[in-house]
Amino acid sequence: MDIFLKAFSALWQVLAVGLLLGAGIPAVFSLGMRSLDTGRVPAPAGAAHVSTDGTVASTGGKIGAGICFGLCVLAVLFGIVVIIFGKQLFS
Amino acid sequence: MTEALFILVVVVVTALAFDFTNGFHDTGNAMATSIATGALQPKNAVILSAVLNLVGAFLSIEVALTVSNKIISIQDSSGAPVESLMGVPILTIVFAGLVGGILWNLTTWLLGLPSSSSHALFGGLIGSAIAALGFGGVKWDGVISSILVPAFFAPLVAGLVAGIGTWLVYRIVTKIPEARRDAGFRWGQIGSASLVSLAHGTNDAQKTMGVITLSLIAYGSWTSTDSIPFWVKASCAVAIAAGTWLGGWRVIRTLGKGLVEIHSPQGMAAETASAAIILSSSHLGMALSTTQVATGSILGSGVGKRGAEVRWSVAGRMVVAWVTTLPAAGLVGAVCWFMADRIGGAAGVAIVFALLVAASTWMWMRSKKTAINPDNVNAEWEGHLAVTEQATPAERVSAGTAERN
Repeated sequence: MDIFLKAFSALWQVLAVGLLLGAGIPAVFSLGMRSLDTGRVPAPAGAAHVSTDGTVASTGGKIGAGICFGLCVLAVLFGIVVIIFGKQLFS
Repeated sequence: MTEALFILVVVVVTALAFDFTNGFHDTGNAMATSIATGALQPKNAVILSAVLNLVGAFLSIEVALTVSNKIISIQDSSGAPVESLMGVPILTIVFAGLVGGILWNLTTWLLGLPSSSSHALFGGLIGSAIAALGFGGVKWDGVISSILVPAFFAPLVAGLVAGIGTWLVYRIVTKIPEARRDAGFRWGQIGSASLVSLAHGTNDAQKTMGVITLSLIAYGSWTSTDSIPFWVKASCAVAIAAGTWLGGWRVIRTLGKGLVEIHSPQGMAAETASAAIILSSSHLGMALSTTQVATGSILGSGVGKRGAEVRWSVAGRMVVAWVTTLPAAGLVGAVCWFMADRIGGAAGVAIVFALLVAASTWMWMRSKKTAINPDNVNAEWEGHLAVTEQATPAERVSAGTAERN
Protein backbone atom coordinates (compact mmCIF):
# COMPACT_ATOMS: atom_id res chain seq x y z
CA MET A 1 0.00 0.00 0.00
CA ASP A 2 2.84 2.31 0.92
CA ILE A 3 4.32 1.74 -2.53
CA PHE A 4 1.15 3.00 -4.19
CA LEU A 5 0.87 6.06 -1.95
CA LYS A 6 4.44 7.04 -2.81
CA ALA A 7 3.78 6.42 -6.47
CA PHE A 8 0.69 8.60 -6.43
CA SER A 9 2.43 11.48 -4.70
CA ALA A 10 5.23 11.33 -7.29
CA LEU A 11 2.67 11.01 -10.04
CA TRP A 12 0.82 14.19 -9.07
CA GLN A 13 4.05 16.14 -9.11
CA VAL A 14 5.06 14.77 -12.51
CA LEU A 15 1.62 15.61 -13.86
CA ALA A 16 1.78 19.15 -12.45
CA VAL A 17 5.25 19.85 -13.88
CA GLY A 18 4.20 18.16 -17.11
CA LEU A 19 1.16 20.39 -17.49
CA LEU A 20 3.06 23.55 -16.51
CA LEU A 21 6.06 23.01 -18.78
CA GLY A 22 5.08 20.22 -21.17
CA ALA A 23 1.81 21.85 -22.20
CA GLY A 24 2.73 25.42 -21.20
CA ILE A 25 5.82 25.79 -23.38
CA PRO A 26 4.10 24.80 -26.64
CA ALA A 27 1.34 27.25 -25.69
CA VAL A 28 3.86 30.07 -25.12
CA PHE A 29 5.56 29.17 -28.40
CA SER A 30 2.17 29.35 -30.10
CA LEU A 31 1.55 32.78 -28.61
CA GLY A 32 4.88 33.84 -30.13
CA MET A 33 3.78 32.51 -33.50
CA ARG A 34 0.49 34.36 -33.18
CA SER A 35 2.23 37.55 -32.18
CA LEU A 36 4.32 37.34 -35.34
CA ASP A 37 1.12 36.96 -37.28
CA THR A 38 -0.87 39.77 -35.70
CA GLY A 39 -1.00 43.14 -37.44
CA ARG A 40 1.32 42.19 -40.28
CA VAL A 41 2.35 45.11 -42.50
CA PRO A 42 3.08 45.23 -46.23
CA ALA A 43 6.74 44.44 -46.88
CA PRO A 44 9.01 47.37 -47.73
CA ALA A 45 11.35 46.85 -50.70
CA GLY A 46 14.24 44.51 -49.95
CA ALA A 47 12.78 43.27 -46.65
CA ALA A 48 13.71 39.86 -45.26
CA HIS A 49 11.21 37.17 -44.08
CA VAL A 50 8.53 38.28 -46.50
CA SER A 51 5.56 35.96 -46.45
CA THR A 52 3.87 34.74 -49.63
CA ASP A 53 1.12 37.35 -49.17
CA GLY A 54 3.73 40.13 -49.31
CA THR A 55 3.66 41.06 -45.63
CA VAL A 56 6.22 41.12 -42.82
CA ALA A 57 5.67 40.94 -39.07
CA SER A 58 5.02 44.25 -37.31
CA THR A 59 7.53 45.61 -34.82
CA GLY A 60 5.18 45.01 -31.93
CA GLY A 61 4.58 41.49 -33.19
CA LYS A 62 8.30 40.84 -33.31
CA ILE A 63 8.80 42.08 -29.75
CA GLY A 64 6.00 39.89 -28.45
CA ALA A 65 7.35 36.93 -30.37
CA GLY A 66 10.86 37.61 -29.07
CA ILE A 67 9.61 37.47 -25.49
CA CYS A 68 7.70 34.23 -26.09
CA PHE A 69 10.48 32.48 -27.99
CA GLY A 70 12.98 33.76 -25.40
CA LEU A 71 10.95 32.07 -22.66
CA CYS A 72 11.03 28.84 -24.64
CA VAL A 73 14.80 29.06 -25.06
CA LEU A 74 15.15 29.67 -21.31
CA ALA A 75 13.03 26.58 -20.65
CA VAL A 76 15.31 24.50 -22.89
CA LEU A 77 18.39 25.84 -21.09
CA PHE A 78 16.73 24.96 -17.78
CA GLY A 79 16.13 21.48 -19.18
CA ILE A 80 19.83 21.11 -19.99
CA VAL A 81 20.77 22.21 -16.47
CA VAL A 82 18.38 19.59 -15.09
CA ILE A 83 19.90 16.91 -17.32
CA ILE A 84 23.43 17.67 -16.11
CA PHE A 85 22.96 18.72 -12.49
CA GLY A 86 19.51 17.33 -11.73
CA LYS A 87 20.61 14.85 -9.11
CA GLN A 88 22.47 17.51 -7.11
CA LEU A 89 19.67 20.02 -7.45
CA PHE A 90 16.78 17.83 -6.44
CA SER A 91 18.08 15.28 -3.94
CA MET B 1 43.50 -15.70 -20.32
CA THR B 2 41.70 -17.01 -17.26
CA GLU B 3 38.12 -18.20 -17.41
CA ALA B 4 36.82 -15.21 -15.42
CA LEU B 5 38.66 -12.73 -17.62
CA PHE B 6 37.24 -14.35 -20.76
CA ILE B 7 33.72 -14.12 -19.33
CA LEU B 8 34.31 -10.50 -18.33
CA VAL B 9 35.35 -9.61 -21.87
CA VAL B 10 32.25 -11.31 -23.28
CA VAL B 11 30.04 -9.48 -20.76
CA VAL B 12 31.55 -6.11 -21.69
CA VAL B 13 31.08 -6.79 -25.41
CA THR B 14 27.49 -7.94 -24.81
CA ALA B 15 26.76 -4.88 -22.67
CA LEU B 16 28.02 -2.58 -25.42
CA ALA B 17 25.92 -4.51 -27.93
CA PHE B 18 22.90 -3.92 -25.69
CA ASP B 19 23.76 -0.22 -25.53
CA PHE B 20 23.91 -0.17 -29.33
CA THR B 21 20.44 -1.77 -29.64
CA ASN B 22 19.21 0.69 -27.02
CA GLY B 23 20.40 3.50 -29.31
CA PHE B 24 18.64 2.46 -32.49
CA HIS B 25 15.55 1.16 -30.73
CA ASP B 26 14.97 4.57 -29.14
CA THR B 27 15.91 6.96 -31.96
CA GLY B 28 12.22 7.25 -32.79
CA ASN B 29 11.29 8.46 -29.32
CA ALA B 30 12.98 11.76 -30.03
CA MET B 31 13.03 11.99 -33.79
CA ALA B 32 9.99 10.16 -35.22
CA THR B 33 7.72 13.21 -35.18
CA SER B 34 10.36 15.52 -36.68
CA ILE B 35 10.99 13.01 -39.45
CA ALA B 36 7.28 12.49 -40.11
CA THR B 37 6.50 16.21 -40.46
CA GLY B 38 9.59 16.95 -42.52
CA ALA B 39 11.08 19.24 -39.85
CA LEU B 40 14.29 17.29 -40.40
CA GLN B 41 15.46 15.11 -43.26
CA PRO B 42 15.58 11.51 -41.98
CA LYS B 43 19.37 11.24 -42.21
CA ASN B 44 19.95 14.63 -40.59
CA ALA B 45 17.57 13.72 -37.77
CA VAL B 46 19.50 10.60 -36.80
CA ILE B 47 22.84 12.41 -37.02
CA LEU B 48 21.56 15.19 -34.73
CA SER B 49 20.13 12.65 -32.33
CA ALA B 50 23.34 10.59 -32.35
CA VAL B 51 25.52 13.61 -31.56
CA LEU B 52 23.20 14.64 -28.72
CA ASN B 53 23.17 11.10 -27.34
CA LEU B 54 26.97 11.10 -27.41
CA VAL B 55 27.15 14.45 -25.62
CA GLY B 56 24.44 13.37 -23.20
CA ALA B 57 26.31 10.20 -22.29
CA PHE B 58 29.45 12.18 -21.47
CA LEU B 59 27.42 14.66 -19.45
CA SER B 60 26.28 12.02 -17.01
CA ILE B 61 28.01 12.58 -13.71
CA GLU B 62 25.97 10.04 -11.81
CA VAL B 63 27.06 6.48 -11.26
CA ALA B 64 24.13 4.25 -12.08
CA LEU B 65 25.40 1.24 -10.14
CA THR B 66 22.23 1.17 -8.11
CA VAL B 67 19.91 0.85 -11.12
CA SER B 68 19.95 -2.96 -11.09
CA ASN B 69 20.06 -2.90 -7.30
CA LYS B 70 16.43 -1.83 -7.12
CA ILE B 71 15.19 -5.02 -8.70
CA ILE B 72 17.58 -7.91 -8.07
CA SER B 73 19.60 -8.97 -5.05
CA ILE B 74 23.12 -9.34 -6.36
CA GLN B 75 24.50 -6.16 -4.78
CA ASP B 76 24.70 -4.61 -1.31
CA SER B 77 23.31 -1.15 -0.59
CA SER B 78 26.44 0.63 -1.86
CA GLY B 79 26.07 -1.09 -5.21
CA ALA B 80 29.02 -3.44 -4.70
CA PRO B 81 28.42 -7.11 -5.59
CA VAL B 82 27.39 -9.49 -2.81
CA GLU B 83 30.51 -11.27 -1.55
CA SER B 84 29.20 -14.79 -2.15
CA LEU B 85 28.51 -14.04 -5.82
CA MET B 86 31.80 -12.32 -6.64
CA GLY B 87 33.43 -13.38 -9.88
CA VAL B 88 31.92 -15.82 -12.35
CA PRO B 89 28.45 -16.20 -10.73
CA ILE B 90 27.54 -12.53 -10.97
CA LEU B 91 29.13 -12.19 -14.41
CA THR B 92 27.01 -15.07 -15.68
CA ILE B 93 23.80 -13.56 -14.26
CA VAL B 94 24.54 -10.19 -15.82
CA PHE B 95 25.50 -11.80 -19.12
CA ALA B 96 22.31 -13.87 -19.39
CA GLY B 97 20.24 -10.80 -18.48
CA LEU B 98 21.90 -8.75 -21.22
CA VAL B 99 21.24 -11.46 -23.79
CA GLY B 100 17.55 -11.45 -22.80
CA GLY B 101 17.45 -7.66 -23.18
CA ILE B 102 19.15 -7.63 -26.58
CA LEU B 103 16.98 -10.38 -28.07
CA TRP B 104 13.77 -8.72 -26.91
CA ASN B 105 14.94 -5.36 -28.25
CA LEU B 106 15.68 -6.94 -31.63
CA THR B 107 12.36 -8.80 -31.71
CA THR B 108 10.33 -5.67 -31.06
CA TRP B 109 12.47 -3.72 -33.52
CA LEU B 110 11.79 -6.37 -36.18
CA LEU B 111 8.05 -5.93 -35.52
CA GLY B 112 8.49 -2.16 -35.58
CA LEU B 113 7.15 -1.80 -32.06
CA PRO B 114 8.57 0.77 -29.66
CA SER B 115 9.19 -0.92 -26.31
CA SER B 116 11.26 0.14 -23.35
CA SER B 117 14.91 -0.89 -23.61
CA SER B 118 15.31 -0.46 -19.89
CA HIS B 119 12.43 -2.82 -19.23
CA ALA B 120 13.99 -5.34 -21.60
CA LEU B 121 17.26 -5.15 -19.65
CA PHE B 122 15.47 -5.39 -16.30
CA GLY B 123 13.36 -8.28 -17.57
CA GLY B 124 16.45 -10.16 -18.68
CA LEU B 125 18.17 -9.55 -15.33
CA ILE B 126 15.07 -10.61 -13.38
CA GLY B 127 14.88 -13.83 -15.38
CA SER B 128 18.53 -14.72 -14.95
CA ALA B 129 18.38 -13.81 -11.25
CA ILE B 130 15.37 -16.11 -10.72
CA ALA B 131 17.18 -18.89 -12.59
CA ALA B 132 20.35 -18.43 -10.56
CA LEU B 133 19.04 -17.52 -7.11
CA GLY B 134 15.39 -18.51 -7.06
CA PHE B 135 12.46 -16.13 -6.58
CA GLY B 136 14.21 -14.64 -3.55
CA GLY B 137 16.82 -13.23 -5.91
CA VAL B 138 14.34 -10.62 -7.09
CA LYS B 139 13.20 -7.58 -5.08
CA TRP B 140 9.53 -7.77 -6.01
CA ASP B 141 8.69 -4.54 -4.17
CA GLY B 142 11.20 -2.77 -6.37
CA VAL B 143 9.81 -4.42 -9.50
CA ILE B 144 6.34 -3.13 -8.64
CA SER B 145 7.36 0.37 -7.59
CA SER B 146 10.06 1.11 -10.14
CA ILE B 147 8.78 -0.82 -13.16
CA LEU B 148 5.13 -1.89 -13.12
CA VAL B 149 3.43 1.16 -11.57
CA PRO B 150 5.42 3.66 -13.68
CA ALA B 151 4.77 1.57 -16.81
CA PHE B 152 1.05 1.79 -16.20
CA PHE B 153 1.01 5.56 -15.68
CA ALA B 154 3.67 6.73 -18.15
CA PRO B 155 1.53 6.66 -21.29
CA LEU B 156 -1.50 8.07 -19.46
CA VAL B 157 0.33 11.06 -17.98
CA ALA B 158 2.19 11.74 -21.22
CA GLY B 159 -0.96 11.39 -23.30
CA LEU B 160 -2.87 13.77 -21.05
CA VAL B 161 -0.16 16.43 -21.07
CA ALA B 162 0.46 16.21 -24.81
CA GLY B 163 -3.27 16.17 -25.49
CA ILE B 164 -3.86 19.34 -23.50
CA GLY B 165 -0.75 20.94 -25.05
CA THR B 166 -1.93 20.12 -28.56
CA TRP B 167 -5.41 21.41 -27.85
CA LEU B 168 -4.01 24.71 -26.50
CA VAL B 169 -1.64 25.09 -29.43
CA TYR B 170 -4.39 24.67 -32.02
CA ARG B 171 -6.66 27.07 -30.11
CA ILE B 172 -3.96 29.73 -30.26
CA VAL B 173 -2.69 29.30 -33.80
CA THR B 174 -5.92 28.50 -35.59
CA LYS B 175 -5.93 31.75 -37.62
CA ILE B 176 -2.33 31.60 -38.80
CA PRO B 177 -1.92 30.51 -42.43
CA GLU B 178 -0.83 26.90 -42.55
CA ALA B 179 2.48 27.32 -44.35
CA ARG B 180 3.73 30.00 -41.94
CA ARG B 181 2.46 28.09 -38.93
CA ASP B 182 4.09 24.81 -39.84
CA ALA B 183 7.40 26.46 -40.74
CA GLY B 184 7.55 27.98 -37.26
CA PHE B 185 6.61 24.82 -35.43
CA ARG B 186 9.25 22.82 -37.24
CA TRP B 187 11.83 24.88 -35.34
CA GLY B 188 10.00 24.19 -32.12
CA GLN B 189 10.00 20.50 -32.95
CA ILE B 190 13.73 20.43 -33.53
CA GLY B 191 14.40 22.13 -30.20
CA SER B 192 12.17 19.86 -28.16
CA ALA B 193 13.33 16.68 -29.94
CA SER B 194 16.93 17.65 -29.26
CA LEU B 195 16.21 17.91 -25.56
CA VAL B 196 14.69 14.43 -25.55
CA SER B 197 17.79 13.06 -27.32
CA LEU B 198 20.12 14.66 -24.82
CA ALA B 199 18.16 13.31 -21.87
CA HIS B 200 18.12 9.88 -23.49
CA GLY B 201 21.91 9.83 -23.86
CA THR B 202 22.34 10.72 -20.20
CA ASN B 203 19.75 8.33 -18.78
CA ASP B 204 20.16 5.25 -20.91
CA ALA B 205 23.92 5.14 -21.49
CA GLN B 206 24.26 5.40 -17.71
CA LYS B 207 22.53 2.06 -17.26
CA THR B 208 25.04 0.22 -19.45
CA MET B 209 27.89 2.07 -17.75
CA GLY B 210 26.52 0.81 -14.44
CA VAL B 211 26.26 -2.78 -15.68
CA ILE B 212 29.83 -2.79 -17.02
CA THR B 213 31.22 -1.19 -13.87
CA LEU B 214 29.36 -3.74 -11.77
CA SER B 215 30.98 -6.51 -13.83
CA LEU B 216 34.44 -4.98 -13.40
CA ILE B 217 33.92 -4.87 -9.64
CA ALA B 218 32.71 -8.47 -9.65
CA TYR B 219 35.82 -9.50 -11.57
CA GLY B 220 38.04 -7.52 -9.22
CA SER B 221 39.64 -5.03 -11.58
CA TRP B 222 37.76 -2.01 -10.20
CA THR B 223 36.83 -1.23 -6.62
CA SER B 224 35.17 2.19 -6.51
CA THR B 225 31.36 2.27 -6.31
CA ASP B 226 31.12 6.01 -6.91
CA SER B 227 33.21 6.47 -10.02
CA ILE B 228 33.55 4.63 -13.31
CA PRO B 229 36.59 4.10 -15.58
CA PHE B 230 36.81 6.63 -18.39
CA TRP B 231 36.98 3.95 -21.09
CA VAL B 232 33.64 2.58 -19.87
CA LYS B 233 32.02 5.99 -20.20
CA ALA B 234 33.59 6.61 -23.61
CA SER B 235 32.73 3.22 -25.08
CA CYS B 236 29.12 3.36 -23.82
CA ALA B 237 28.72 6.87 -25.23
CA VAL B 238 30.05 5.77 -28.62
CA ALA B 239 27.93 2.58 -28.65
CA ILE B 240 24.63 4.36 -27.97
CA ALA B 241 25.47 7.14 -30.43
CA ALA B 242 26.40 4.65 -33.16
CA GLY B 243 23.13 2.80 -32.58
CA THR B 244 21.17 6.04 -32.76
CA TRP B 245 22.95 7.03 -35.94
CA LEU B 246 22.05 3.69 -37.55
CA GLY B 247 18.46 4.74 -36.92
CA GLY B 248 15.77 2.27 -35.94
CA TRP B 249 13.75 3.08 -39.06
CA ARG B 250 11.15 0.42 -38.35
CA VAL B 251 10.28 1.90 -34.96
CA ILE B 252 10.55 5.45 -36.31
CA ARG B 253 8.00 4.60 -39.01
CA THR B 254 5.49 3.15 -36.56
CA LEU B 255 5.81 6.10 -34.18
CA GLY B 256 5.86 8.81 -36.83
CA LYS B 257 3.40 7.45 -39.38
CA GLY B 258 1.58 4.51 -37.79
CA LEU B 259 0.00 5.95 -34.67
CA VAL B 260 -1.21 9.36 -35.77
CA GLU B 261 -1.02 11.41 -38.97
CA ILE B 262 1.11 14.05 -37.35
CA HIS B 263 1.62 17.74 -38.18
CA SER B 264 4.34 19.96 -36.83
CA PRO B 265 2.28 21.73 -34.11
CA GLN B 266 1.34 18.28 -32.77
CA GLY B 267 4.95 17.17 -33.08
CA MET B 268 6.19 20.06 -30.99
CA ALA B 269 3.50 19.55 -28.36
CA ALA B 270 4.31 15.82 -28.18
CA GLU B 271 8.09 16.21 -27.87
CA THR B 272 7.84 19.03 -25.34
CA ALA B 273 5.48 16.95 -23.23
CA SER B 274 7.94 14.04 -23.47
CA ALA B 275 10.91 16.18 -22.47
CA ALA B 276 9.09 17.75 -19.51
CA ILE B 277 7.80 14.42 -18.21
CA ILE B 278 11.02 12.47 -18.69
CA LEU B 279 13.08 15.13 -16.95
CA SER B 280 10.65 15.77 -14.10
CA SER B 281 9.85 12.12 -13.44
CA SER B 282 13.49 11.09 -13.15
CA HIS B 283 13.92 13.64 -10.35
CA LEU B 284 10.62 13.17 -8.56
CA GLY B 285 11.05 9.59 -7.48
CA MET B 286 9.31 7.75 -10.30
CA ALA B 287 11.46 7.39 -13.40
CA LEU B 288 9.22 6.80 -16.40
CA SER B 289 10.25 4.92 -19.51
CA THR B 290 11.30 7.26 -22.33
CA THR B 291 9.65 4.99 -24.88
CA GLN B 292 6.31 4.81 -23.11
CA VAL B 293 6.29 8.55 -22.47
CA ALA B 294 7.13 9.32 -26.11
CA THR B 295 4.45 6.94 -27.37
CA GLY B 296 1.85 8.31 -24.96
CA SER B 297 2.70 11.86 -26.03
CA ILE B 298 2.28 11.11 -29.71
CA LEU B 299 -1.07 9.44 -29.02
CA GLY B 300 -2.10 12.43 -26.92
CA SER B 301 -1.20 14.81 -29.73
CA GLY B 302 -3.59 12.88 -31.94
CA VAL B 303 -6.39 12.94 -29.38
CA GLY B 304 -5.87 16.66 -28.69
CA LYS B 305 -6.29 17.72 -32.31
CA ARG B 306 -9.83 17.76 -33.54
CA GLY B 307 -10.38 15.43 -36.46
CA ALA B 308 -6.99 13.75 -36.26
CA GLU B 309 -6.92 10.05 -36.99
CA VAL B 310 -5.55 7.92 -34.17
CA ARG B 311 -4.90 4.28 -35.02
CA TRP B 312 -5.82 2.57 -31.78
CA SER B 313 -5.08 -0.87 -33.20
CA VAL B 314 -1.42 0.12 -33.59
CA ALA B 315 -1.44 1.48 -30.03
CA GLY B 316 -2.98 -1.79 -28.87
CA ARG B 317 -0.14 -3.80 -30.40
CA MET B 318 2.33 -1.62 -28.55
CA VAL B 319 0.58 -2.21 -25.25
CA VAL B 320 0.78 -5.95 -25.88
CA ALA B 321 4.53 -5.57 -26.49
CA TRP B 322 4.94 -3.57 -23.28
CA VAL B 323 3.08 -6.12 -21.18
CA THR B 324 5.11 -8.92 -22.74
CA THR B 325 8.51 -7.23 -22.35
CA LEU B 326 9.32 -8.25 -18.78
CA PRO B 327 8.24 -11.91 -18.99
CA ALA B 328 9.64 -12.44 -22.50
CA ALA B 329 13.05 -10.92 -21.80
CA GLY B 330 13.00 -12.68 -18.44
CA LEU B 331 12.33 -16.06 -20.02
CA VAL B 332 15.23 -15.62 -22.45
CA GLY B 333 17.46 -14.44 -19.60
CA ALA B 334 16.55 -17.48 -17.52
CA VAL B 335 17.08 -19.96 -20.38
CA CYS B 336 20.44 -18.37 -21.19
CA TRP B 337 21.54 -18.57 -17.57
CA PHE B 338 20.63 -22.27 -17.39
CA MET B 339 22.50 -23.01 -20.61
CA ALA B 340 25.59 -21.08 -19.56
CA ASP B 341 25.51 -22.64 -16.11
CA ARG B 342 24.88 -26.27 -17.13
CA ILE B 343 27.53 -26.25 -19.84
CA GLY B 344 29.67 -24.34 -17.41
CA GLY B 345 32.46 -21.83 -17.37
CA ALA B 346 33.90 -20.11 -20.38
CA ALA B 347 32.47 -22.68 -22.80
CA GLY B 348 28.92 -22.11 -21.55
CA VAL B 349 29.16 -18.35 -21.92
CA ALA B 350 30.83 -18.71 -25.33
CA ILE B 351 28.05 -20.98 -26.63
CA VAL B 352 25.28 -18.65 -25.42
CA PHE B 353 27.14 -15.74 -27.00
CA ALA B 354 27.37 -17.65 -30.27
CA LEU B 355 23.61 -18.29 -30.13
CA LEU B 356 23.03 -14.57 -29.51
CA VAL B 357 25.09 -13.70 -32.59
CA ALA B 358 23.22 -16.29 -34.66
CA ALA B 359 19.77 -15.12 -33.52
CA SER B 360 20.68 -11.46 -34.08
CA THR B 361 21.99 -12.18 -37.55
CA TRP B 362 18.83 -14.12 -38.39
CA MET B 363 16.61 -11.24 -37.29
CA TRP B 364 18.71 -8.77 -39.24
CA MET B 365 18.39 -10.93 -42.37
CA ARG B 366 14.65 -11.23 -41.73
CA SER B 367 14.31 -7.44 -41.53
CA LYS B 368 15.64 -7.18 -45.10
CA LYS B 369 12.41 -8.74 -46.40
CA THR B 370 10.46 -5.65 -45.40
CA ALA B 371 13.30 -3.17 -45.28
CA ILE B 372 12.51 0.24 -43.86
CA ASN B 373 15.12 2.90 -44.56
CA PRO B 374 15.48 6.69 -44.78
CA ASP B 375 13.90 6.61 -48.23
CA ASN B 376 10.66 4.87 -47.38
CA VAL B 377 10.27 5.62 -43.67
CA ASN B 378 7.66 8.30 -44.41
CA ALA B 379 5.61 6.34 -46.95
CA GLU B 380 1.85 6.31 -46.42
CA TRP B 381 0.76 3.96 -43.64
CA GLU B 382 -1.36 1.17 -45.12
CA GLY B 383 -2.28 -0.65 -41.97
CA HIS B 384 1.09 -2.32 -41.52
CA LEU B 385 4.77 -1.58 -41.20
CA ALA B 386 5.80 -2.95 -44.58
CA VAL B 387 5.86 -0.56 -47.50
CA THR B 388 4.19 -2.15 -50.52
CA GLU B 389 4.09 0.68 -53.03
CA GLN B 390 6.97 0.94 -55.43
CA ALA B 391 7.29 4.69 -55.36
CA THR B 392 10.46 6.45 -56.38
CA PRO B 393 12.49 7.93 -53.53
CA ALA B 394 11.50 11.45 -54.60
CA GLU B 395 7.81 10.61 -54.44
CA ARG B 396 8.26 9.04 -51.06
CA VAL B 397 9.90 12.15 -49.69
CA SER B 398 7.16 14.39 -51.00
CA ALA B 399 4.51 12.05 -49.62
CA GLY B 400 6.14 12.40 -46.23
CA THR B 401 6.65 16.13 -46.15
CA ALA B 402 3.39 17.22 -47.72
CA GLU B 403 1.34 18.83 -45.00
CA ARG B 404 -2.33 18.07 -45.31
CA ASN B 405 -4.66 19.47 -42.77
